[in-house]
Amino acid sequence: MQKVITVSLNGIAYQLDENAYAQLHAYLDAAARALAANPDSSEIVADLEQAIAEKCTRFLSPHKNVVKAAEIEQVLREMGPVDGEDAASGGSATGNDAAAGAGSSAADEGIPGATGDPGAAGPRTPGDSGTGGGAAASDRAAGVAPSGRRLYQISEGAILSGVCTGLAAYFAIDVIIVRAIFVALLFLTGGIALLGYVILMFIVPYASTSEEHAAARGLPFNARILVEGAKQKYAQFRQGAEWQGTRAEWRSEWRRMRAEWRAQRRRLRNEWRANSRFGSRPGGVAPPGAAVPITAGRYAAHVIGGSVIAVLSLVFALISIAWLFVLLSLLTTGAVLGFALPFGVPLWVTILILVLLYQLIAWPIGSMRRAAYYSMGGYHPGWVEAWNGIFAVALAVGVIWYGYHHVPELRAFFDHLTRWWHEATGTGSGAFT
Amino acid sequence: MSEAVAVDSKFSPIRKGLLEFLVLKIVSGTTVYVPDILKRLAGTEFATQEGTLYPLLSRLRREGLVDYQWQESESGPPRKYYRLTPTGKTHLLALDEYWALINATVSSLGS
Repeated sequence: MQKVITVSLNGIAYQLDENAYAQLHAYLDAAARALAANPDSSEIVADLEQAIAEKCTRFLSPHKNVVKAAEIEQVLREMGPVDGEDAASGGSATGNDAAAGAGSSAADEGIPGATGDPGAAGPRTPGDSGTGGGAAASDRAAGVAPSGRRLYQISEGAILSGVCTGLAAYFAIDVIIVRAIFVALLFLTGGIALLGYVILMFIVPYASTSEEHAAARGLPFNARILVEGAKQKYAQFRQGAEWQGTRAEWRSEWRRMRAEWRAQRRRLRNEWRANSRFGSRPGGVAPPGAAVPITAGRYAAHVIGGSVIAVLSLVFALISIAWLFVLLSLLTTGAVLGFALPFGVPLWVTILILVLLYQLIAWPIGSMRRAAYYSMGGYHPGWVEAWNGIFAVALAVGVIWYGYHHVPELRAFFDHLTRWWHEATGTGSGAFT
Repeated sequence: MSEAVAVDSKFSPIRKGLLEFLVLKIVSGTTVYVPDILKRLAGTEFATQEGTLYPLLSRLRREGLVDYQWQESESGPPRKYYRLTPTGKTHLLALDEYWALINATVSSLGS
């Protein structure tokens, strides 16, 4: 018995058996990768899908509605490996050097030259009967999904942030060893290793999805394995529960697990939606449980997000320190940086104003940090937060501008502030530096 | 037999380069569907496969040499039918001339 998977090839549903699906998925995956640099890659993949679909129809009849693995294999062999045709050879519009240009890029299997001699099974001579090159192609297709190992932070079992656990997973060694090395480095470098840790902490993204967890350990990610694991756990758990018979515990545990699964499913779905080339194009192959490769682009986005977070966090920290400094000067001298409080304004009102001011400044930065965080793997649309930040900045600027022009005290305060700033920087003893 | 293999592999980059020329030639007649192009090439030294042809056509389209139109088909979704653009026609003429030049050179050399 074989499970049947329904896929949509360019808008038409086809039923494939499990192995056929795996082959097709691998082929289209390889195609997408070969065409990664091609601006029309999605269109070409759609064309290929339609061609595959048309070839499949000849294996289907009213009495047979499932495409078998052997059949899809034949279809894919006829399709041939997808030619990456690097963009460099695209500049052959002049015609004269077209042959040379395209020819030099023909290093891999380009034309399966059907030689007149049937015995001449050269390296690239699979004609329509297709043996050599076609088989090689399906070999290559079958060997895909080498989900590359990537460095992530792993919060499970982490002491500080998860850098060590992530490194341990990356190098496939015990986390104890990584920690020992880290502590040794800490002593040897006199604490500089801590700086390295902090940098990694900000730059290395967290593994938030199961797929990323798998990539952190270099394991091939497969949703089906995940589901099987969950099922097995559930079966084990049920057995145990029947033995123990504590119903309340059983129920709460079951609820917890269900919530976990649901969250897992949601995460996976979001992942697919966000990253799957299938999902972004109507009529693509709907992967009912296939791994979506973690693209280099997404990882880079994570890293950039991490760097942005680091910078924003620094700014945030500086502002916090400045604010604390102002508050301290208010409490100790009864004046804000030497500027006496306006007559009749109680201290608590000033503190309140300071808090509000701090909020006004901290809000946009916080929003931006959140936006960057979400871009690293959160699931809120980052631009909503970014927009919030822009809005907050605009609001703050508006309020300050209005205050400067219409509230004399505020204007005096700002004038004083600029004076103070000039003095502070002029004398070289800037309080902020 | 081994000689045949050697010759075959010697000319494989040339075949690859000529494929574009031949596809343009095929497309220059009437509007054609990709399986028709494959059929025309099948059995020749230039037999090719979808995996090569679709990226090639896509590039030719990007270069403005061919374009396609959708045509309904009685079985299945609409199909893309390719044809040569005016730019493609002039380009093909140039290629034709150059090909004649190469041919003349090849046959004029040697005994």
